Amino acid sequence: MPKFIVYFAQLHEDFRLPELDALSKLENVRVEYDPRSYIRSSPFLVVEISSSEQAAKLVRRAILIRSIIEYWGSGRTYSDVYAEVKHEQERWALYKTSSFKFTVDAFGKSLTQEEKVRVINGFSFLEFTGPIRMRNAQAEFFVCEEYDETREPKIWFGRVVGTGSRDLIDRFDVKKRKYLGNTTMDAELSLLMANQAQAQNGMFVYDPFVGTGSFLLTCAHFGACTVGSDIDGRQIRGTAGFKRGVDGIRANLAQYNVESRVIDTAVFDASRNPWRPGPLFDAIVTDPPYGVRAGAKRQGRVGGTKSELSLRLVDGTPNHARTDYYPPTEPYEMSFVIRDLLHLAAEKLVVGGRLVYWLPTVAGEYTPHDVPEHPVLQLVANSEQPFGSWSRRLITMEKIKPLDSHEAVVPERDPAHKNFRDRYFNKFEPVA
Amino acid sequence: MRLITHNMLKCHVKNCDNPDKQFPLRFKGAELEQVEAERNDEFLVRMIPRLDWRALLVTAKELGIELPENIPEDPENDDAFLQALHTAILETHVKEGSMVCNGCNHEYKITKGIPNMLLAEHEI
Repeated sequence: MPKFIVYFAQLHEDFRLPELDALSKLENVRVEYDPRSYIRSSPFLVVEISSSEQAAKLVRRAILIRSIIEYWGSGRTYSDVYAEVKHEQERWALYKTSSFKFTVDAFGKSLTQEEKVRVINGFSFLEFTGPIRMRNAQAEFFVCEEYDETREPKIWFGRVVGTGSRDLIDRFDVKKRKYLGNTTMDAELSLLMANQAQAQNGMFVYDPFVGTGSFLLTCAHFGACTVGSDIDGRQIRGTAGFKRGVDGIRANLAQYNVESRVIDTAVFDASRNPWRPGPLFDAIVTDPPYGVRAGAKRQGRVGGTKSELSLRLVDGTPNHARTDYYPPTEPYEMSFVIRDLLHLAAEKLVVGGRLVYWLPTVAGEYTPHDVPEHPVLQLVANSEQPFGSWSRRLITMEKIKPLDSHEAVVPERDPAHKNFRDRYFNKFEPVA
Repeated sequence: MRLITHNMLKCHVKNCDNPDKQFPLRFKGAELEQVEAERNDEFLVRMIPRLDWRALLVTAKELGIELPENIPEDPENDDAFLQALHTAILETHVKEGSMVCNGCNHEYKITKGIPNMLLAEHEI
């Protein structure tokens, strides 16, 4: 199959291959590459795809891919590159009279304008006779000098055949939203999660810790219909959060043109949810509360619920029927939050549906065994975003078979995210 | 709240577990609003098997919404059916009112289209 160069953004390195794989399945484009050739510190990866059209389709939604380039040559010197390009002279003929453009870039170094001009002139053997167009050229050629710590360059050359969707990051920038809160996920990661979930037209996606609704927006942008719930109605309604009086999640819908696809939000405890039995959702996309900025809580009372407290009469009215009655909550420890989330996903996802969620972990203590398991959910991806003493991992799981009467696997050791909130505020000092 | 969501919610009060009574929830004092929405046939067709049609008919009758008794053999190509379904489950919003459980009589209030399904302490 023809070779292409994937030009990644150089950040969230752990997330790049999982996104590529998710898009490959979503867009139904077969992409082959040697995983050993993937270098975290490099923005380039050589892959094989059946055609330029398929390559463009593969990356069109990508958040961590800048562009995809038809491979014409690479090497340590320009001579090596020219030699490789000269092997396929018939290919140049296709662009002899096309309008064209050269983009010269450097990674790990800056090139002066003069150096760039010299690079372009070095390719004059291509003898293109068409006009140079800086915008909307029929053929865009890309040259990049990639430098690593050795200061020895690797030079890449090819024709750009497709671009990703990094422009969405600006459009979904949280600073531009009518409504946001202090736990609102940044745009880049919210969009990435929608790709991991393979959100697309026809799907029904649920967020059980919806907060200010970021994932409802990004999944709906890609065509899915979305619903969200949260135990805290104030976040949904907009009566708490940075921008009050703005009507909460609803305020963002018109701005992103997703009113028809953000179906509903509701107030309830995810661990005591009122969904009727059986699979309902194609994906569950969420950022559960770690208990740090947003206190993780569930309905209940420390020490046990006391029915008499809600049933007793206050001024002749049962307490729970009074307008200002607010049912009690109890702390909801992180490992239980995740355990219950997996149960929820196992029961309410259709087979083939995905669970995409963030798992906070303590650096230095985390092992892969800490990622919770479930008999009907298969781990698809696990990407780390490090913050020094702790990290969070974006976990993608896929439901591979129907849920009968399976029991969840009970972990043998306390995972590194147990009691995450206390660990965080104790600066992750080792637990005795 | 759109009717598609209502079709998926049941009463979850402790010990209220008669499936015939706890679902569908009965509307009380429902204030409806029709809001036009972009029709999405792929979504509608995909959701048909996940809807509880019997319950949807009960609810539609309760609210005076038009809905065919039966799902056609080939819904993908039945424009009239899809339009009726779209209007019923995606364009009909319950803005205010409450949903009542026929089993335990718990009332779930709906405010500005958002249902509150938190339970009181004795119901957890």
